[in-house]
Amino acid sequence: MPLVKINGVEIEVPEGTNMVEAARLAGEEIPHYCYHPHLSVAGNCRMCTVDVEAGGRGPDIACNMIARDGLAIRTDTDDVKQIRRSIMELLLKNHPLDCPICDQSGECRLQDYYMEHGDHDSRLADPKHGKAKRVDVGDHILLDAERCVACTRCERFGDEVTGTGELRLFQRTDSTEIGIFPGERLSHDYQGNLADLCPVGALTSKEFRFTKRVWYLREADSICPGCATGCNITVCHQQGEVHRLEPRRNDAVNDSWMCDAGRRTHLELEPEHRVLSPRVEGRVADWDVAAAAAVREISSGRVGVVFGARASCEANYALLALARKHAPEARYFLVEGNDPGTPEGSDKLLIDEDKNPNRRGARLIGERTGRLEGGAALREALAGGALDGLIVLQDDVLGRLDVDAPEGLVVLATRRSRTTAAAHVLLPVCAPTEADGTYVNRGSRVQRYREAVWVRGEARPGHLAVESIALAWGAAVVPSEGAEVFAALTREVADFAGMSWQALGREGLPLVVAAAAESAPEPDPASPAPAK
Amino acid sequence: MDVPRILSANWELPGSHTLEVYRAQGGYTALKRALEMTPAEVTQIVADSGLRGRGGAGFPTGRKWTFVPAKEKRGGKPVYLICNADESEPGTYKDRYCMWHDPHMMLEGMLIACYAIDSRAGYCYLRGEFGFVQDRLDEAIAEARAAGLIGEDILGSGFDCELYTHLGAGAYICGEETGLISSLEGGRGQPKLKPPFPAVEGAWGCPTVVNNVETLSVVPWLINHGAEAYRAIGTEKSTGTKLFCASGHINRPGVYEIPMGVPMTTFIEEQLGGVRGGKAIKAVIPGGSSVPVMTADEVARANMDYESINEVAGSYLGSGGFILMDEDTDMVRALTNLLRFYAHESCGQCTPCREGCGWMYQILQRVDGGTATEADLDTLLDLADNIHSKTICFFGASAAMPVQSFLAKFGDEFRAKVASQRAQGAAK
Repeated sequence: MPLVKINGVEIEVPEGTNMVEAARLAGEEIPHYCYHPHLSVAGNCRMCTVDVEAGGRGPDIACNMIARDGLAIRTDTDDVKQIRRSIMELLLKNHPLDCPICDQSGECRLQDYYMEHGDHDSRLADPKHGKAKRVDVGDHILLDAERCVACTRCERFGDEVTGTGELRLFQRTDSTEIGIFPGERLSHDYQGNLADLCPVGALTSKEFRFTKRVWYLREADSICPGCATGCNITVCHQQGEVHRLEPRRNDAVNDSWMCDAGRRTHLELEPEHRVLSPRVEGRVADWDVAAAAAVREISSGRVGVVFGARASCEANYALLALARKHAPEARYFLVEGNDPGTPEGSDKLLIDEDKNPNRRGARLIGERTGRLEGGAALREALAGGALDGLIVLQDDVLGRLDVDAPEGLVVLATRRSRTTAAAHVLLPVCAPTEADGTYVNRGSRVQRYREAVWVRGEARPGHLAVESIALAWGAAVVPSEGAEVFAALTREVADFAGMSWQALGREGLPLVVAAAAESAPEPDPASPAPAK
Repeated sequence: MDVPRILSANWELPGSHTLEVYRAQGGYTALKRALEMTPAEVTQIVADSGLRGRGGAGFPTGRKWTFVPAKEKRGGKPVYLICNADESEPGTYKDRYCMWHDPHMMLEGMLIACYAIDSRAGYCYLRGEFGFVQDRLDEAIAEARAAGLIGEDILGSGFDCELYTHLGAGAYICGEETGLISSLEGGRGQPKLKPPFPAVEGAWGCPTVVNNVETLSVVPWLINHGAEAYRAIGTEKSTGTKLFCASGHINRPGVYEIPMGVPMTTFIEEQLGGVRGGKAIKAVIPGGSSVPVMTADEVARANMDYESINEVAGSYLGSGGFILMDEDTDMVRALTNLLRFYAHESCGQCTPCREGCGWMYQILQRVDGGTATEADLDTLLDLADNIHSKTICFFGASAAMPVQSFLAKFGDEFRAKVASQRAQGAAK
């Protein structure tokens, strides 16, 4: 590992690290526009220029400088400060400064770096170049060419990540602008990333545009519930409302990206789609009443327990504990496929065919019973009247199997579905934005999502919803804290051994026995493979 | 002045562009001779000759050829030769003469260079306006191919080599070697980051050598006459002859081949017939519009070689675009005119050059138009400093150097325009 020096401080960095990243590791932020850790190096903004003290000739750009023994750079010299100030002056030369009506305001690198590195008085006595504003380039993206700093991140994203290459630089000199060929539109499922990776307000999201000033937004780490990939996301919210979902960097899962469908998952969690109150035979009831009713439905006869591929590990584990304690003779199921109405399709990048965020976790927990059955067995059992009661955790099993409701259907659900409509007892479960929990993604990575907004209606976190039934049945089965439920899970299921919510951190951990689990015929895109 | 003719020897011959005439003058004997040597021997001759790149940078040609990685280190990648015929530097038109009057000399040079660097394909990249030159080159290539000089098993040596011409779309920046490569690859003509350097990772990611037309045209002579003969011409560090394209206020504009090291005044008096109308010299741009301007005093002391021009005037021999301005020249207007070019030609990639060239041109227009202040002149110099060497390629410096040198050497004229405007304003 090469040993480099940054502002006089020595640091060892991994082979192949560029000096922007090396500085980051050393706790030093080198400002940049065009450099992006998941795109090729363009070196055009020149903002990351540093002074080379030893091992090269300076000043030079840090993004194209690979760490090697003896390389020493400084980011704090007068030369560097002067260059940064000059780049800021030049970038703003033809920039419209329409911050008051720009959505990027508050998270704009022109604003941030001006305050930090520019802070110059204007010397401009000449007119600015006007360029195209409000260019409709795709279903989700608008282009304002005037605000563009020609960093070409968007161009490289189209070339290197989606491989669609729609956005291009047109013209040259200070007339240079990003654009799209006549008649073309963005044609991929990752358009939202363009608004994210644009360091200025040139590419903005149509959905988010003019809806909220970003400085009002609060953020919470989360996991996209849209499919089995489990993209790491940030939930941006204010006063109980989710305003947007953004990808959060995780090089083991989604780099810095997420798909457009994933960005809309929070819309499916709005009240009109939700189960908000406990219900018994369709009528709103108190939790206690509904839980007691649930016990009545499933406490006698032949009971089926359906684990939830959309539910958290904690909820699934609570369900396992409930069944063991109170219904040891039950049959256990995990139903394949996706809920009706979920967007279909998959690709080689991030979108998985399996639209359930936690099939892997649900399966690992369900298999602890030693007799986990699939959807076909459940369909047969329902058709043959082999079950007298059925408890379903968060999956729309009736929709998936296209079967009629059995007797004694108890449903714990977040969203309304054919299954919730048929439920005899219905218990509301929190959306992933409203509670903490864990999912296991397609790459066997255990990842944690965190509470962002307050709970809608009377919903409870999955494990507590299950626990309320257990209590009505006479004995608790899991601790009330989600972290403790997870701890119990790690003690029982070897794949999770040694983990804790805390240890999962922001980027999650791979299953302990992931290698063994890999032998199962599952896709193995632990990390997306961008077309390079 | 004793004027040896290497490059321009055949230019006046009728039909000089035909294979027949070229062969009658001993053409393609150098190729035969080179093919009997090892590639390393060929490269050694070029290195020993002291030949330096004639495109403007003056990098030793033989050394450039040795940068191509050895075959076992190339991972099976082919090597490419590119002849840079994107001659676009204002004041420069020598390559056009070479290709128009003696295309086979350049083609023979390309073939020898290909042999030396183990390339099987050479591309001649022409500026977009050189369609008529491309036609001539294509004819010459066809002639040479029919004669077994291009293609498979050239002259029975077992060496295969194809030459192609490619017409650009008309951009100055495509004369920058990596910009040229981007354009040749079918992309937007934008310079690429270095490292990697073209010799290691050039066209289509393969090792690539880019040489200027004039440079390659010298190569056959070097093979035939040897490195020593070439070194005997010119100065110690600037060997051989050089083509200069003279323009401006002189009596005889044109392309001249002279040995390196000739005093600049001798060149002006003897070759160019002196200043038009017998006027005094105010300034000379010795090597194409990008190099720093020289004052009359510097002109009197400088010789026509790389070292002298740099030592005397801090300027460069560049591409050999020699522009003379007489005592009546309005230096503000001259610089404004130059900057119009750079503001139009910046590829738009790097921030300083993209935004700065246009801004400098805007300011200069106001200086020339009389609506600028002295603060604007400070801004102008500041901008030039902030562009110079702060970009991916040398274009930024090329636009900055004229501004810096004009203001340093003829600053009074700029300040006078600013002051006179203020005086007029005050008088109103």
